[in-house]
Amino acid sequence: MAPGIRLGATPPPPLGRMEVLLMSQTEVTPQSVRASATIKGPWRRVLTGLPYLLPAAVLYGAFIVYPMLDSVRLSFFKWSGFQTEKPQFVGLANYKRMFTADPVFFTAFRNSILWVVLSLLIPVVLSLLLALGLNHQIFGRNVLRSVFYIPSVFASITVAALWRWIYNPTFGIINAFLKAIGLGSWAQNWLGDPKIALYSVFIASIWTGVGFNMVLFLAGLQQVPKELQEAARVDGASAWQVFRNVTIPALRPTLVVVIILTIINSLKVYDLVVGMTGGGPAQSTQVLALWSYTQSFSNHNFGMGGAVATILLLISLALVVPYLIWTMRGEEQ
Amino acid sequence: MSGTKPSVARPRLTRGAAGRGSTARVNRRKPNYALIGLWIALVIGALAWLVPFAVMFLTSVKSNAEISQLPLLAAPKEWKWNNFSSAIETGNLWRTGLNSLIISVVKVPLGLFLAACAAYALARLRLPFSRTMWVVFAVGSMVPIQVGLGPLFKMMQRIGLLDNIWGLVLPYFAFGIPYQIFVLYGFFRSIPNELEESAKLDGAGTFRIFLQIVLPLSKASLAALFILDFVATWNEYAIAATLLQSQSNWTVPLAVLSFSAQHGTDYGPMNAFIMMSAIPVLIVYLLFQKYFVSGALAGAVKG
Repeated sequence: MAPGIRLGATPPPPLGRMEVLLMSQTEVTPQSVRASATIKGPWRRVLTGLPYLLPAAVLYGAFIVYPMLDSVRLSFFKWSGFQTEKPQFVGLANYKRMFTADPVFFTAFRNSILWVVLSLLIPVVLSLLLALGLNHQIFGRNVLRSVFYIPSVFASITVAALWRWIYNPTFGIINAFLKAIGLGSWAQNWLGDPKIALYSVFIASIWTGVGFNMVLFLAGLQQVPKELQEAARVDGASAWQVFRNVTIPALRPTLVVVIILTIINSLKVYDLVVGMTGGGPAQSTQVLALWSYTQSFSNHNFGMGGAVATILLLISLALVVPYLIWTMRGEEQ
Repeated sequence: MSGTKPSVARPRLTRGAAGRGSTARVNRRKPNYALIGLWIALVIGALAWLVPFAVMFLTSVKSNAEISQLPLLAAPKEWKWNNFSSAIETGNLWRTGLNSLIISVVKVPLGLFLAACAAYALARLRLPFSRTMWVVFAVGSMVPIQVGLGPLFKMMQRIGLLDNIWGLVLPYFAFGIPYQIFVLYGFFRSIPNELEESAKLDGAGTFRIFLQIVLPLSKASLAALFILDFVATWNEYAIAATLLQSQSNWTVPLAVLSFSAQHGTDYGPMNAFIMMSAIPVLIVYLLFQKYFVSGALAGAVKG
């Protein structure tokens, strides 16, 4: 008993020597070994594991977790962001102002939610259809896959610059095309009209976003059991029935991943809006991520910026945490 | 839709070997038309998808005069290749490109290695609360980075790393790591214990097991994460825009935005600049093209 406890109390020696110590004890008193193992086990594992974990954990804690929590803290303060000024505690005043006297916040909130919903409807369905089509053995399918995929390796900022040119009211290809086919009256100031600007930006996001989901779906389709599809077809199931009852259930895990990634990426939308409209015209394309930034940096109101960021954080957590719990349950099984 | 009924009714009449043969034959012949239709639809879709690229390229080689006179999708009468050189100069492409390259080359391998270390500790070293820690990392990979931009700026200002590409690398590590841990954790856990046990019997320490067994077995997933992280780092805008101020420290996305804001009416050079800004990620894409479209990448993404 005694040696085990003494060992536990002294600072642990380097790993190699400790193992030697433990082994030498085995011969003398097996009981003490068990005792020392229960005391030392987790402690030793922590010591072994910590050097692996620490660098990542420190970087993550310092540059992701801390700033995010600090945003929440700042949301209870009034602060211009200048170092010479001290933040001043104001309780819930920022939230009160945001919910009662900040119409832009509601626009941004509505646009963010709308973006999530539209993204779940249009690009997800479109990319599933593309994956189903390009899963067939057809001529040039790798080239076709590449064409749909390549836009997603472009930076959103680059895509934004490109699409601003496409939407250019005077020379842009869309208006030129409409004029060429005699629909000149449909030509619009796509990014300058508050009623349609958000949708114009959204179309650019479809162009870049579809490819990545398509690749995810294609990977998921490889896991659909071929024999089952064949068997169902032989039994006379229509293409739709095979799709409904064999393909979709097999695709479910992929579908969950695509949906969760789509939600996350929709809440993160920022670069595209900054690059195409900057949130305008008349704040009509504001989204939460950008409004938080604008409040902090352009309006010098870090408190309000923090409040908007806190709302964004809460929405994200509300959507993401159930997914993580679900994944963890799957891990346990 | 009208085809549904007969095909449901068919099996009752044609069960058995002969029937099976005939359905197979029907299947082989009938979808041919469907496949051709599908192919045509996909090609039309792909052409539509290519239009922005075509517009970009054809604009980049025209003068402003030709842009206003010729249709956008027409070839220029006079190819203005010097749009590219003037864009490089106006947009300071060498400088910003070098900054982006330095950041990516330092950040991507080192960040991935640190993430792999942490995932190994959580997945294989049976630390207490490892599952909880995994969840804490996973949450970070899914929350918009913009939530913390204000305080991040404040912090970097306090420690004097504002407007410094090495200061930018630190938060860049942090945004890649949680996601990579999230993915690698699943991979590392799926490695059978026996391999590790036998290495232990041979006297291998944890670090040797990590380097010689765990990492080589996860090569595919590490490669996929490497590519994804390279593209994400090269393209990152929000953090860079917050932390970098002077033009000599800018990364490529900042230069693109500034170009389109300040010289947006020089349509030719503007589009030339957009094209050139994407060259590194396009090279990465072309090198690993098989990998991207075959779904190997997607397997890694799902963890």
